[in-house]
Amino acid sequence: MKKILSILLTVAFISILLVALSEGPAFGNADNPANNYVSKRYIEQGVADTGAINIVTGIILDYRAFDTFGEAAVLFAAVISVVIVLNKSKEQV
Amino acid sequence: MKDAILKEIGRLIIPFIQIFGIYIIFNGHLSPGGGFSGGTILGVSLIMHKLIEEPSKPSIKISERTIMQFMCFSFMLYGILKGYSFLSGGGEFELFNIPLGTPGMILSGGMLLPLNIAVGIIVCFTIYTFYTLFDKGEI
Repeated sequence: MKKILSILLTVAFISILLVALSEGPAFGNADNPANNYVSKRYIEQGVADTGAINIVTGIILDYRAFDTFGEAAVLFAAVISVVIVLNKSKEQV
Repeated sequence: MKDAILKEIGRLIIPFIQIFGIYIIFNGHLSPGGGFSGGTILGVSLIMHKLIEEPSKPSIKISERTIMQFMCFSFMLYGILKGYSFLSGGGEFELFNIPLGTPGMILSGGMLLPLNIAVGIIVCFTIYTFYTLFDKGEI
């Protein structure tokens, strides 16, 4: 019973996602939402905005800094949980 | 590990690996690299030191408390610095903006250098902690 229910749920989710995907814009279209002014602005104004010559660092630590904060939070949470679960030494924090 | 060749070569090569990692972190806003890749190299040098040392008398001992202090401090430093720049860059508040400096110098780019250092410390100790915990079960 549980298996049938999970299969039905999975099929329902897949069909919902596929229907939503079929409404999206065509691949490679020039008017797609991804081809907007953001990347052009980053390339042209990146050095003046962030002061970094390496534009990748300028983007991940200035424009998208909150995303990198989330990545650091993931690493931090992973280390804390692994230390809690696997640490066998007597020293306690 | 008792291999003499590995031990001697490792002792020779570890300082260069660490200097290379620090170079990548500190030049993160000037050349390819940054906190993630430089921190990985630093963590790999610590792992190599752990591989070649004598288990009975390690020359450096990084305790769990030190690792937690460094990681918490870096994490909070990142949050405070970037939260401040979210406030000061918005324009509503008349706060002090860190000057960007001349592009191309080491001390330029506002907060990019301290943010890179914070990310590098977090990544370095993450890799080192994972290796030691999964290998021996203790730090």
